[in-house]
Amino acid sequence: MPSNATNVEKFSRGEAISVEVDRIERELAALWQAAGRGQDDVGAGAGVTTPISRAALWNLIIPARGADSLSRVKRLADDLAPLLPARVITLCPGWGSATGGVTGGISATIESNVVSRPGGARQVFAEEITLTGEGADSVEHHFGALVRALQIPSLPTATLWIDSTTIESLLTNELLPVSDRLVVDTGRCGGARELAAVCRLAAASRVEVGDLGWLRLNGFRLLFAGLFDPPIGGGPLLAARHLEIEHRSPKLASALLLIAWLGCQLGWRPIDAAPAFDKGAGMRLRFGASERRDGREATVAVDLRPSPGECGTSGIVSIALDAGTPGAIYGVRRTADNHAEISVPIAPSRSVKLDSRSDAELCVGALGPAGRDPLLRRVLPYAERLADLVAARGAG
Amino acid sequence: MSALPNPLREGLAAERIPEPATMVIFGASGDLTKRKLLPALYSLTRERLLPGRFAVIGYARRPLTDDAFRAEMRAGCEEFARRRPVDPELWEGFARNLFYQEGGYDDPNAFVALRERLEQVERQLGLPGNRVFYLSIPPSSFAIVVKNLGLSGLVPPPSAGPQARFSRVIIEKPFGTDLATAQKLNRDIHETLTEPQIYRIDHYLGKETVQNLLVFRFANGIFEPVWNNRYVDHVQITGAETVGVEGRGGYFEQAGIVRDMVQNHLFQVVSLAAMEPPVALDADSVRDEKLKVLKALRPIPSSEMDAQVVRAQYAAGSIAGRAVPGYREEPGVSPTSQTETYLALKFFIDSWRWMGVPFYLRSAKRMPKRVTEIAIHFKEAPRLLFGRHGGEGVRPNVLSIRIQPDEGISLNFGSKLPGPQMEVAPVTMEFRYGSSFGVEPPEAYERLILDCLLGDGTLFTRADEVEASWSWISRIHQHWQEKGAAQAATGALEALPTYPAGSWGPEAGDRLLAAGGRQWRRP
Repeated sequence: MPSNATNVEKFSRGEAISVEVDRIERELAALWQAAGRGQDDVGAGAGVTTPISRAALWNLIIPARGADSLSRVKRLADDLAPLLPARVITLCPGWGSATGGVTGGISATIESNVVSRPGGARQVFAEEITLTGEGADSVEHHFGALVRALQIPSLPTATLWIDSTTIESLLTNELLPVSDRLVVDTGRCGGARELAAVCRLAAASRVEVGDLGWLRLNGFRLLFAGLFDPPIGGGPLLAARHLEIEHRSPKLASALLLIAWLGCQLGWRPIDAAPAFDKGAGMRLRFGASERRDGREATVAVDLRPSPGECGTSGIVSIALDAGTPGAIYGVRRTADNHAEISVPIAPSRSVKLDSRSDAELCVGALGPAGRDPLLRRVLPYAERLADLVAARGAG
Repeated sequence: MSALPNPLREGLAAERIPEPATMVIFGASGDLTKRKLLPALYSLTRERLLPGRFAVIGYARRPLTDDAFRAEMRAGCEEFARRRPVDPELWEGFARNLFYQEGGYDDPNAFVALRERLEQVERQLGLPGNRVFYLSIPPSSFAIVVKNLGLSGLVPPPSAGPQARFSRVIIEKPFGTDLATAQKLNRDIHETLTEPQIYRIDHYLGKETVQNLLVFRFANGIFEPVWNNRYVDHVQITGAETVGVEGRGGYFEQAGIVRDMVQNHLFQVVSLAAMEPPVALDADSVRDEKLKVLKALRPIPSSEMDAQVVRAQYAAGSIAGRAVPGYREEPGVSPTSQTETYLALKFFIDSWRWMGVPFYLRSAKRMPKRVTEIAIHFKEAPRLLFGRHGGEGVRPNVLSIRIQPDEGISLNFGSKLPGPQMEVAPVTMEFRYGSSFGVEPPEAYERLILDCLLGDGTLFTRADEVEASWSWISRIHQHWQEKGAAQAATGALEALPTYPAGSWGPEAGDRLLAAGGRQWRRP
């Protein structure tokens, strides 16, 4: 029976407690009740001094793969706790030995995610359930059933598919059918093929889709879009013949997503992709732009160049648009982790703030209105086409 | 040639980015500028919600250099900005576009100098000539400043077309001191400005919970059907402050709590809580519905005035374990003052929805805690089942909407106590912005300044709204004046009732509700 004084103390401190899989809800209820009564029930020196509240606004399902992935996911759950109370259900199939009770090859731990309020005010806690599978093929089905049983009723459920290298049947067969939102992370895709797969999955999903990679590009997109506000207007965008994007070496997927946004908004038709030999390493993508003033389609070349420059968490170092006349360069370049320099032909360049948000903050965004961005829905299929073009050239 | 539309703006999360503009703050050396306005502009810059090109010119009588103004504003932001400490690099960029211009409010030449400075700044920064003038000045100067804005050409007449530049004027409260002065002020400023150029600010409307009233009522299917006289027993509105007059005795002697809180902030809350669903969420649709509520306020007959309106002054008492003086002992306050620091009202809204539902409103200084809330008290359930056993715990449901502090919503209902007995205990279901969303709501001034730059007047008060609320409130002042004059004529001037600082007000305030078998909530 885990809900003894020691376990209550551990629970209140946010430590993991092993439980039988079929007793998760019961043990959580008992631990919350005991922890909520405070120190008297726990005994002197137990450390529970403030009344606590149990809180949850979402069921969050986060699959992990392997030990490193699991520890990243658990760090994310800890970082999320103060921002968004949620019942986090972490799934780790095919890894590790049992750390708790075992049912059908699955072990479970429970823990609280503690949020201390300054000044000793009432504390709000969320909870985390970790289910670890032992590698059997049937584990996936067990996970599906367990997740359905452990969802807090009436709360929305999101699956955070953010640390997975391939699309699995666990997601499509078991998790998406019980989810209201899917959160992916294109920024973690290792290359064009993986990006294409994630885009395909997300674009086909019937639930709302948020993308942490898309949200990481938000600051850059805002700054770049701002260059073409009045009085400059969209003229230079229509006149553009060449665009260059510098990105960090493993972040090709972020650059492709950024181009997909531009291509979508500017009506560019993808033509081809090829290694950009004249630029050293990198790729050149060509697009047909039909929205020219003379009505004829022109070609826009977009060069992607790996760069060691500052990129924050977005992976993008710079973007520069050549509007076709001498000196008509419109650009944004990250100059430090939280700043960027923007340049337009009619004014001196200036430095502006460009924050990088943490993954937990991005997750909160993806679970809010930013997680049902209709623009992303349009951009994902476009990004998939670009990723397929690039992958077909053997790049990524 | 006009600029082509920007296709990259479509669908961006922060689509509501205003056009490049300059804001001129009149009263720039005052407290509001340092405590609220500049911190709000700094926060908007931090959130990247201001346009890339944006300048601020502070204007006041005090001589000050640009650098000294920047230093004062930085100190203000360090102390009052929502996110502190101030980011030095961000501040550097923000402060480069802060300027200061010395000048009086009634000197036309000073306005010509301001225009020259403004045009110089616009040229220097490539600003297109969009202007917002913020009047954070004594109300007696509103009309003359607006007139000088027009005469000096600072506010050109509105024009249309793609090259059109906007000029808007934000006017702080109080807007008039009674119906006649409000009407005159409206007439005066309308000589220079059209109504869509005028943004009468009431910072309560910028608070998240006040805006959430619209969402709560009209985005949820379960509340609107019970939001009427069939289910609601009465409504209580509380606007309580712990502070006294805080060195503003002279101002408060003229204003009193009615002008300071009730006519503007609390009546805006009442109108949002009581209005019918608007046909759209645009400025005029919402304000049309609010106006209907204000026009439907049943006038209190003179014969009922003393029964339905209770006023009082705080006496010495204790706040947060500290002895505090009474109102008449405050600096700047007359020892024989008749100004109210407490007001409790009972009133009715003559509409199909609210017919027969009493609204109780109280507002006061030196109350035990700072709280503004609106509480909907529902009619009691029949006690047929629980009348004899456990009936003590059966209480009417109360839905309370907390506007400040700890913005949120709570619902009280009865629940069975665990055990073999059928005992009912009241429990509370709570929603708090802070814990549910994990983010601080933006400051009211941030939202309102941004809305003005965007040309969205929804959260600002229209001329007819101001006049409608004064029309109702002025009857109370008129009654007090007539009563005072009558008492003075007989030499028997009654002192106002008092309540100890740190209490919930005078007994007369409690009796206002007790007459209907009700009592004030203890928020």
